[in-house]
Amino acid sequence: MSEKELSKYGEGVGFERIRRITGYLVGTIDRFNNAKRAEVNDRVKHGV
Amino acid sequence: MIVTVKKRDGREMPFNIEKISAAIEKAFRASGELDEQIKASQDQLNLLGNDDVLSSTALQVAASAVGLLEAEGKVKPEIEEIQDAVEKALTEGGYADTAKSYILYRAERTRIREVNTRLMHTLRDITFSSAKESDLKRENANIDGDTAMGTMLKYGSESAKHFYTMMMLKPEHSRAHSEGDIHIHDLDFYSLTMTCCQIDLKKLFKGGFNTGHGHLREPKDIRSYAALAAIAIQSNQNDQHGGQSIPNFDYAMADGVRITYRKAYLSNMVKALILLTGKTEEEIQPVVKKLHAEMAEMGMVATLVPNEKFVEAEARELSKVYDTEIVMKAQKFAEKMAYEETDKTTFQAMEAFVHNLNSMHSRAGAQTPFSSINYGMCTEPEARMVMRNLLLTTDEGLGGGETAIFPIQIFRVKEGISLNPGDPNYDLFKLACKVSAKRLFPNFSFQDAPYNLQYYKPGHPETEISYMGCRTRVIGNNYDPTREISFGRGNLSFTSINLPRIAIKMKSVDLFFKELDRMLQLVSDQLMERFAVQSRRKVKNFPFLMGQGVWIDSEKLGWEDTVGEVIKHGTLSIGFIGLAETLVALTGKHHGESEASQELGLKIIGHMREFCDKESKRLGLNFSLLATPAEGLSGRFVRMDKKKFGIIPGVTDRDYYTNSFHVPVYYKISAFKKLSLEAPYHALTNAGHISYVELDGDPTQNLDAFEKIVHHMAKVGIGYGSINHPVDRDPVCGFVGVIGDCCPRCGRSEGHAISEAKIEELRKLYPGMPAFKGIR
Ligand SMILES: [Zn+2]
Repeated sequence: MSEKELSKYGEGVGFERIRRITGYLVGTIDRFNNAKRAEVNDRVKHGV
Repeated sequence: MIVTVKKRDGREMPFNIEKISAAIEKAFRASGELDEQIKASQDQLNLLGNDDVLSSTALQVAASAVGLLEAEGKVKPEIEEIQDAVEKALTEGGYADTAKSYILYRAERTRIREVNTRLMHTLRDITFSSAKESDLKRENANIDGDTAMGTMLKYGSESAKHFYTMMMLKPEHSRAHSEGDIHIHDLDFYSLTMTCCQIDLKKLFKGGFNTGHGHLREPKDIRSYAALAAIAIQSNQNDQHGGQSIPNFDYAMADGVRITYRKAYLSNMVKALILLTGKTEEEIQPVVKKLHAEMAEMGMVATLVPNEKFVEAEARELSKVYDTEIVMKAQKFAEKMAYEETDKTTFQAMEAFVHNLNSMHSRAGAQTPFSSINYGMCTEPEARMVMRNLLLTTDEGLGGGETAIFPIQIFRVKEGISLNPGDPNYDLFKLACKVSAKRLFPNFSFQDAPYNLQYYKPGHPETEISYMGCRTRVIGNNYDPTREISFGRGNLSFTSINLPRIAIKMKSVDLFFKELDRMLQLVSDQLMERFAVQSRRKVKNFPFLMGQGVWIDSEKLGWEDTVGEVIKHGTLSIGFIGLAETLVALTGKHHGESEASQELGLKIIGHMREFCDKESKRLGLNFSLLATPAEGLSGRFVRMDKKKFGIIPGVTDRDYYTNSFHVPVYYKISAFKKLSLEAPYHALTNAGHISYVELDGDPTQNLDAFEKIVHHMAKVGIGYGSINHPVDRDPVCGFVGVIGDCCPRCGRSEGHAISEAKIEELRKLYPGMPAFKGIR
């Protein structure tokens, strides 16, 4: 690995955000289809 | 003179009048308008020679069509223009019926062309766009649409869907599906497979099994038990289009722990005696081994929690050879060491199992198997050791601390077993809550919900409630009421109804129910059509599922037998989506906001359930009502309805219809109220259901609240539930938790770099940090 690459440790690397879709989990939101992505964005938290 | 024609794609081709007359001939044949003349000419012994009536008339019409085109000055006519001219020539020649047939022929050709074009467009989309741009490639989030095999699967899947829509479905079912009244799930597997199955591992392991790539012997310790469990899931996945589940993970793995302990006890006993007596292994090993074998034959074996019968008998027998005090000491040593070793081995076995299920490939490498495991009810010490270690490894995460996506873990909750302090598995329930608060799994299933409890017979694990991770549930059995179990059974196929559309179209509640009934009948007929196709499949088409006796009663069938009879134990499920939008369309309010709407919601879903029960009785099969998981479907119906009916506030104004009977995700409501409102729908949806609530922040900091929610689920009659919370991870520094804009550990924001020095500094603080390198 070149010097230059090492200095860019993490550049272009996103965070993984694991979410539940229908009962199973999905490793990252990038894999969601458009509708599910919209749904995840709309989700509000439920108070306890 | 016409020398060339212009094709639809713009290319010019040599003009050929015979092509035109051939089409006209077909139209004449279809209309029958020349039949009499043909008959007459045949009676005249073919006086016209080779030039029979049909082709000569067709050629005449073609010629006059060409004349019409030339009169209009068309030198390079387009296909459409030629066809217009033919229609005109036929009409002018007095062949009205044939003109009609010709128009129909044109329309049919256009339809096929459009379908083919659509297929070609789809294939082009699959070929040239990345999953990032193509919604189609992200239809299922756990299949990587960018890989070669993922793309190949997609070609097959889309082509198969086109084929079944055109050639196999009844036209009314095909139309209802393509217009979005209903959705036939997994259409690409229409003629091939059934959905899913609960694999009884104990039965499968007995005597070993064959994966199709070789025979695997009966496993001999917990490590091979766990490895074979993963292989069983993988093998079965290739015979079905849905997920795979193990209903008795605790009971089955406990057998592996038993064997592992016995072996560990033996070897440690030998070790202890060597040390304490000063004798050699060659002297001691045969003595102890022989004794254990003889005792095993009399039903006495070493157990994780030492049993008196074995301990006493062993002490008595060994004391005949060695000093009693030494024997007692050796026993204590062996017990302690064997326990520790077994515990460690079990942890490693569970760790490998989870790791396997997240990395092993199925379906030509495009996805990891959709796997689920159910556990929680077995209170034997060996099973408890399995569950504890499974939870511990889940808590630790995969190699780099990542949250495992598979298997979906489902912890069974029951009063007197695990729910309350003092219950034998309460400690495991607490641990399950803690792990779920960090890793989103396990989910929780509720054995005491009345509609689950009714099947439960203590001492019969096959009657415990099992869920397929995404929510599918199979337990009741109208086809054979003596087999109301989950083992070896699963869903055959399911089709969902677009509920909001019925509401938008019908407006009034009365008319809604009328149209709903029509739709239910349509779906029932469609499921039966598919069932007939599935029934004709043979055992050899499912080498693992049926060939290895995984599916109930399939062991009684031969290789060439059809599976029609045994799959009657499976379920045919009618699903639905968007109850919330349906209620808004009918009453202006969804069930989260209005009691009247909740009442109507229960009436609608109750009505659908009644229909399923009625069909079960009428047909002697298992029809059940499903709260559809709807991943790909969540956007499909609403996209079409938006086009058809425009934007209707609260109904078609978002990019998705709300999942099954859920209170809309955007609606502010407390976790407890949401669960209370959704629970009664669990009782009605006997093909499967799930409810989840969204917690803010990091629930590991508030485990009491977490546990309280699970208790509330049990109290209000939820069948299957889980708690969502953000689980984020920075692959660079390995932090797992809630990440806003910046990573709380390393401070970098999304996509940004940090220095190597910073990484080194962090590694000192967090030695377990993954070795992430460079650009990904
Ligand atoms: Zn970080």
